[in-house]
Amino acid sequence: MRNMAVPEESIYNLIPKEEVKIQKPPRYTSTFRHSVKLEEQKNKAAHKTMGPAKVEVPSPKEYLQKHTKEATLAQKSALLNSTGKPPRCLAEDQKRPPVPPRTEQPILGIQTNKSFIKTNVAEAVLAVPKKPKPVYVDTKKGDKHLLETSGLVPKYIKRKDFGSTPEYLVKRNEEVRRAQEEYDAYVKERLKMGAMKQLSEEERQNVLEGLKKNWDELHHDYQGLSVVIDTPPKKAHKERLEAEMRQLERDIDVIERQKIIYIANN
Amino acid sequence: MAGGSEEKQMQLELESVIGFNGHVPSGLISHPDREHLIYPLGCTIIIYNLNRRKQQFLHGHTNNISCFTASKSGKYLASGQVTYMGFKADILMWDYNKRECCGKLTLHKVKVEALAFSPNDKYLVSLGGQDDGSIVLWNVLTKEPICGSPASSLNAGHALTVTFSNNSDDVFITGGNGTLRVWEVDLANRKLRPTECQMGQLKRVVTCLAVAEDDSCFYCGTSTGDVLKINTRTKLLNSYGPQKKKFSLGVTTLRLLKTGEILIGSGDGKLSLCIEPDYKELNRVQLQGAITSITLRGQGHQFFVGTSKAQIYRFNYPEFKQELVASCHSEAINDIAFPFATAELFATCSKNDIRVWHTVSHEELLRITVPNMTCNAIEFMRDGKSIISAWNDGKIRAFTPESGRLLYEIVNAHSMGVTAIATMSNCKRIVSGGGEGQVRVWELGKDSQHLVESMKEHKSAVICIRLRSNNKECVTASSDGTCIIWDLERFVRKQMILDNTLFRCVCYHPEEFQIITSGTDRKIVYWEVFDGSPIRGVEGSMSGSINGMDISDNGSHFVTGGNDKLIKVWDYNDGEVTYVGIGHSGNINQLKISPLSKYIISVSNDGAILCWKYPYPV
Repeated sequence: MRNMAVPEESIYNLIPKEEVKIQKPPRYTSTFRHSVKLEEQKNKAAHKTMGPAKVEVPSPKEYLQKHTKEATLAQKSALLNSTGKPPRCLAEDQKRPPVPPRTEQPILGIQTNKSFIKTNVAEAVLAVPKKPKPVYVDTKKGDKHLLETSGLVPKYIKRKDFGSTPEYLVKRNEEVRRAQEEYDAYVKERLKMGAMKQLSEEERQNVLEGLKKNWDELHHDYQGLSVVIDTPPKKAHKERLEAEMRQLERDIDVIERQKIIYIANN
Repeated sequence: MAGGSEEKQMQLELESVIGFNGHVPSGLISHPDREHLIYPLGCTIIIYNLNRRKQQFLHGHTNNISCFTASKSGKYLASGQVTYMGFKADILMWDYNKRECCGKLTLHKVKVEALAFSPNDKYLVSLGGQDDGSIVLWNVLTKEPICGSPASSLNAGHALTVTFSNNSDDVFITGGNGTLRVWEVDLANRKLRPTECQMGQLKRVVTCLAVAEDDSCFYCGTSTGDVLKINTRTKLLNSYGPQKKKFSLGVTTLRLLKTGEILIGSGDGKLSLCIEPDYKELNRVQLQGAITSITLRGQGHQFFVGTSKAQIYRFNYPEFKQELVASCHSEAINDIAFPFATAELFATCSKNDIRVWHTVSHEELLRITVPNMTCNAIEFMRDGKSIISAWNDGKIRAFTPESGRLLYEIVNAHSMGVTAIATMSNCKRIVSGGGEGQVRVWELGKDSQHLVESMKEHKSAVICIRLRSNNKECVTASSDGTCIIWDLERFVRKQMILDNTLFRCVCYHPEEFQIITSGTDRKIVYWEVFDGSPIRGVEGSMSGSINGMDISDNGSHFVTGGNDKLIKVWDYNDGEVTYVGIGHSGNINQLKISPLSKYIISVSNDGAILCWKYPYPV
């Protein structure tokens, strides 16, 4: 009995099907792989791979003795710094004199017998008079200034860059100028963006030509219409042609009259 | 040869062969390079690459190969053949590496029974058949006979099998009907000295031999179904067994394994793994057909088994499970059919079964078995939903194409067997022809099939039916010497063609104004459909009737094949042979050009299916 539920057998199903091998996408590899690897190596504990460092085993003679593990007080160690030298206060040559004993009586009432008046007079007599520094006076009140640093003495006349504008000034001026230019250009651009586009003469001519060509085609069709317009479709066609031609004529007229045309940007 | 006269003919390229002659004892050989299987098919030897699944062919024999062997090193192959009574049968020696024949050894009469190479490739020993009864030792290098001798003593039967010892080039063993001899080669005196093995009261027919690896003893399989173990040195029977449950239909082949176990194949298709001393079965597998050859691949981790039902199985030693490697028909193939518009599949029919094959891989996709019946013709329905077949029990059977279930059968379709069948392209009607000469038209209903009309004009079996593409006309060829063109609307004869021949095949030209017929008179005749007048006749073959014919889709060429075992491609307009295909070893029963004109498939009565490249692809 033929069972209708079972799909009918066909000889063409016997043709062995070619197994389609699904192409696996290449295995994902992280882009951080290298850095992670390096990090891993860096953070590895000291003897994780090579084992503990090979050091000499303690000698059996130095066995553990009683009390050796107990903490002992540091002796003298505070005095010595890492360099091994004694601190400066303890150095033999720089030692300050010892604190005087409590019993010692300080020496009092010592006076000098040098005559400061006489020595000063003698010095003043023997002194060489001071040469006055050249000055210039710029006000009637007699305000004096040193001539040397005033720039009035032709001192650096032989220098190479004498009289030229210093370089830093040139640079600064240039920077200022460029900044100004950039600013101007930016302002101009902003203005331009806001403005409307003007149609160039060439473009205008192209538009005109295109319009005229379209008009020509329509006109050709119109001329080729049958003499008797008797059916509604024919009538509709004629009217459509006429409307289109009228529209084109209006457009041509507008573009021909206006020399300068802006295109509104909305 | 017939083809020598014309220079224009070119060889048709043989693409592949589906077939294996399982009847040659130990005919299936696994080459020592572990990559190739070598087996005979008719008069061809096929070298099959197991990895790449490619075939190579060694042609050279003029008749069926009766025995086949390969040397231990794999350098040489040797094959013997049968001929007709009174003629000499050749042994051909082949160089394996060059894949060519390197020597033709002719001494034996009628049949070469068995062959064996010596272990170091020095000698080849050949055993003649029953009518020859001699044994000859050949030098492999010079291809000259060294010495010969009668194979068995006067009061014993003829020898059936021969094998060399494993280590010595001087000792070989023959066995046969009541004879078992160990031979020693006396090269100085050019003599073979036999020693008869003493078996006491035991009378056995030795069918196969196997020598132990160290040559200490050898084993003989017998037709009684037991195995004899004989000491090589003393030539005395050591033991035999099994005593009680013998192998039914005889031990047909046996092979020793390195592990000490014995593989025994029996005539009822049982392959057993046995162990001495009492030949207890460790493992057993039932196969189809008698086991005729077991061959070890390498050391025996894998082995191949060939059976007389033309099946090749592969076994893995540890699992001991069979795996079908190749199969084919073991009986004559009667018809081929292609599904509509595809060359990838085809079906063949033979005695007992219908098989569907995949053209490229030669894989058997479906087998429909009807025991003890012969399928004469086969056809696919145009829609591909059923396989219609004509059987010699007078039934038309339709099968489903995937599961092979019986869809319906028309019993008593013809009284003397259905011999030809054709289906209409609208899948509504079948035209069948019977052995009694009637042509009948059947209407296929949804669940019923009924006879529309029976047309009684032919006096003998209808061999071939061809329908016109509009389903309104058909032509039938009959062995009473007539071809009739029928009107399938009024069911009357339109035209009748009479010729002094038994028609075997008929073809419509695609334009359907002409038909070509052929038959046992070996003539191909073109006829006018309109008035049935002959247009021209061409000599189709020098010898043997023409059995199969098919015309290409565009009608420019047609192909014939017949008892001369040649495929011929003809130019339709010139009526001249353009290509000849040599390769069949049996009579060609039928051939077809595949749809899309890719292949020519031809089948013969030795069970081989040959696939040729069609030389005029579209």
